[in-house]
Amino acid sequence: MQSPVKPENETLRLQALSDAALLDTEADPRFDRLTHLVKQCLHTDIVLISLVDIERQWFKSRQGLDACETGRDISFCGHAILASDIFEVPDASLDSRFVDNPLVTGAPFIRFYAGAPLHFNGQRIGTLCIIEPHPRQLTATERQILRSFADAVEQEISDRLQEQAHSQLAASELMYRSVLEGTRIGTWQWNVQTGETIFNERWAEIVGYTLNELGPIDINTWLKLAHPDDLVESGRLLEQHFAGQSPFYDCKCRMQHKDGHWVWVHDRGRVINWTEDGKPLMMYGTHADITEQKQAEQDLKASRDQFQALVANIPGITYRCKADKDWTMLFMSGSIDPLSGYPASDFINNSIRSYASVIHPEDQSRLELDVNSAIAEKRNWLLQYRVLHKDGTTRWVEERGQAEYNEDGEVICLDGFILDITEEKSLKQQLLKLTSQLPGVVYQYQQWPDGRAAFPYASDNIKKIYGVSAEDVKHDATFLFSKMHPDDLQGLAQSIEQSANNLSVWQHQYRFFSNDSHPVWLSGSATPERMPDGSTLWHGYIEDITAKKKHYLELERLNKEYRLSQQRLDIASETAQMGFWQASLKTGELWWSPVIYQIFGLEESVVPSVALFKSTLHPDDRQLVANSEQKALETGLHDVVHRIIRPDGSIRWVHELAKMLPEEQNPQQIMVGSVQDVTERIELQQLKDQFISTVSHELRTPLTAIKGALSLLNSNKLGQAPDAMHRLLNIASSNSERLAQLINDLLDMEKLIAGKMPFDIQPLPVVAELQQAVDNLQPFAMQHHVDLVIEVSNTPIVLADALRLQQVLTNLLSNAIKFSPAGSEVKLVTQQQEDKVQIIVSDKGAGIAQEFQHRVFERFAQADGSNQRQKGGTGLGLAICKELVQQMQGSINFSSQPGVGTSFVVSLPIAGIALSADNKGVNV
Amino acid sequence: MALERVMHVEDDESIRAVAEIALTDVAGFTLLSCESGQSALAQAEAFAPQLILLDVMMPQMDGLQTLAALRQIPALAKTPVVFMTAKIQQAEKQRYLDAGAVGIIEKPFEPMELGDTLSQLYQQHSV
Repeated sequence: MQSPVKPENETLRLQALSDAALLDTEADPRFDRLTHLVKQCLHTDIVLISLVDIERQWFKSRQGLDACETGRDISFCGHAILASDIFEVPDASLDSRFVDNPLVTGAPFIRFYAGAPLHFNGQRIGTLCIIEPHPRQLTATERQILRSFADAVEQEISDRLQEQAHSQLAASELMYRSVLEGTRIGTWQWNVQTGETIFNERWAEIVGYTLNELGPIDINTWLKLAHPDDLVESGRLLEQHFAGQSPFYDCKCRMQHKDGHWVWVHDRGRVINWTEDGKPLMMYGTHADITEQKQAEQDLKASRDQFQALVANIPGITYRCKADKDWTMLFMSGSIDPLSGYPASDFINNSIRSYASVIHPEDQSRLELDVNSAIAEKRNWLLQYRVLHKDGTTRWVEERGQAEYNEDGEVICLDGFILDITEEKSLKQQLLKLTSQLPGVVYQYQQWPDGRAAFPYASDNIKKIYGVSAEDVKHDATFLFSKMHPDDLQGLAQSIEQSANNLSVWQHQYRFFSNDSHPVWLSGSATPERMPDGSTLWHGYIEDITAKKKHYLELERLNKEYRLSQQRLDIASETAQMGFWQASLKTGELWWSPVIYQIFGLEESVVPSVALFKSTLHPDDRQLVANSEQKALETGLHDVVHRIIRPDGSIRWVHELAKMLPEEQNPQQIMVGSVQDVTERIELQQLKDQFISTVSHELRTPLTAIKGALSLLNSNKLGQAPDAMHRLLNIASSNSERLAQLINDLLDMEKLIAGKMPFDIQPLPVVAELQQAVDNLQPFAMQHHVDLVIEVSNTPIVLADALRLQQVLTNLLSNAIKFSPAGSEVKLVTQQQEDKVQIIVSDKGAGIAQEFQHRVFERFAQADGSNQRQKGGTGLGLAICKELVQQMQGSINFSSQPGVGTSFVVSLPIAGIALSADNKGVNV
Repeated sequence: MALERVMHVEDDESIRAVAEIALTDVAGFTLLSCESGQSALAQAEAFAPQLILLDVMMPQMDGLQTLAALRQIPALAKTPVVFMTAKIQQAEKQRYLDAGAVGIIEKPFEPMELGDTLSQLYQQHSV
């Protein structure tokens, strides 16, 4: 028997066999189906797919044979794999290589064998072979069929591997997916070139959506949801990864959740393949919700910041050190830097210097002693000592500390707190110096509930005040009370008790017998503080005010007088509802008296200001006030009646009168003024005007009947009345005329005030107007034996309403005639004064009494009733004249000398001068 | 045609009496004197005045209302109306003229001249 040789490439062949992954695997229908087909096609008993292993041949599929493997040394296939053609043994009993082969001599008694080699990865790993217990010779067709089936088997081998690889891949993908699902991590795939993107459901869920809601999904889906502030960093990290500078794209960024809040996510991914020209193509990655983690980080950072801020804000230095001679620092806060000039790190474990080295040498032993004794007694310590600063200066510090002990009572470390008190110390020094400069005594006074009293501290001046040294009263000062003035003792004791009880500031004046029998007046004030032992400690100042007191008493007396007169003034101004103010136009300072606040309905706490005043003005009167203010700048006099609106909405009338002092005497431009509430007066006036209007109309009706009746009677049309009756009718007639005139005047006045009087302003030659007035009044003048004289220097033309000018002239002339003595003359004169024409009506009457002169133009103002009755008139004439003239843009005035006469001057705007001048006086 | 038939509407009895003498005894007119607008409306058509003298301020129905009501009577649609008033404001006068009055007589009036004034106004306005 000839055993098959091993081929030259046996190692590679075995590797290929192993890679085929067929050995010792379960039976596979795909192969069994093929061998079964071979059996039928080639009408053979045994068909095998044999794989030639190191020492055996193993049958992946077999038909007609029970054995699953045989030794390679007795195998036919071992020969078959040596060449690429079909290896055929027509009759083994005749072949020397096989004649004694146990497979030939024993079962399965092989006589015929044909094996087509099976290739995998270029190696012949086994055969598809047919075996028969009879000799046989394959036809060419049969050989071709066998080869074709062998090819099919080869194909199945590689297909099977690929399928296996696929299912393995699928299994591992499933595994990864389950893992991802378990970790709640989102995944993404991104085609960097096309933007095509795939997210998993979890990805969407992290931002509160479902994938459906987000679709269609591409890279913009991510861009839209990402926080704009994070895109730059994300882009940078991506470029870094694309450039090969980082193995992963790893980015923490915010994304907007469906409900609006921001979710922190951790994206991690990498490019898994590249385009042919080296551009990134597909990128896979994960997407994890790290909001909680971020929150925890932020919380941690916040609490860390808070702690650092707290430590930084603790005034002074906190430390922990060993209880050794160096005070070796274990911890020390940064505030040591400004104190010593060295950073805290210098002192930790004495790395550069020890804390002991910066303590003033003179204080070191005392410090050591004090701390050690406190440690020994297990109590806290409070020390003051000096620290040497790097710059050579010395700082005073106060240290509070305590030791930490272990269970055995041994010291573990010292903890404490060091405060820089340099400034405090120097302030104290300065304070001491200052107190010695003060005329009085600066002191601390302590009083215990048992009545004991002492001055724990008193400046040297206590000698001057109480005649004792600070030392004398340091522990007990009770004896000082015996030297108080008996009259003041009780009040003093009460004031101290009250201050102690309420912890209120103590202020008192009292008398004290220091040395001689004359008491001195003392004034003290002090702030109390309750001490832990129940006593009260005052910090205060007492001074000798004997000299001042005299002055005070005098001042008090003056004050009392001043207060009284001030009160009187206040009462007066309140009664008149008149307030006063003062303003500096230069500085803007403004002061209001209390009554002003009352008038304006404001709280006295309100700060007066011009803006506040303006805000109270009635909108309809703002211009009026502004005009008056403008006028005040020119004339120095501000005089206006206007309305204000109080905060509660009520409207009040006020009369403002103010005066500015001449500039040369008044550098501060101070203006003083009064404000009077004239609401009642104005309302009365308005009521009166309304009354007059109503009454006038009501009066006209009966007057019409009376006048009409008298007129009919006087006409004699109804019959001749007897003489006596005729005289009475005349009296009734002329008086009804007067009554009609009064009503007309009243109505005129009312119309003028209401602004309802129509004016027809025309250029009028003055002389003609004067002449007409004179003509009209000639009969009246003759009745009084008075001459009327017109004197004109030129012939001006005025702008006026002819009817109203006549009314004015008639009024002035009739007044002049009435008050002229018989035989005298009334003169009418014209004068030109710049752009005005003056018409002067003068009489030689008794003149107007001085005390009445300021009321001449007032309504119903008459010198006295008897005079009026005697002369006749309504008391409205001059008031009407004034209104008429003013409404024609003119003015009216007068001058009067008792016993000499009166001249009324009417000024009206000039329109021009007539060409023919007549200078001579005209006598009429 | 001369003015002969005048209707006077006035609520004040005294003034009605004075006007009656002035318009009948002095002026010689045939006069119908009415104490209110309502009374005037009731009698006006029958009386057929050539001119109506109307007081302005009357209770219930004032002069303007009376005028408007009288104008509803076809026979009186064009009869001249003169107002008599104590109101002498220009704006008021204009209001009466706009309402169709041919003239306004102010109170107190001069009885001796009342008839002549009305005759003149009638001559000016009768068509």
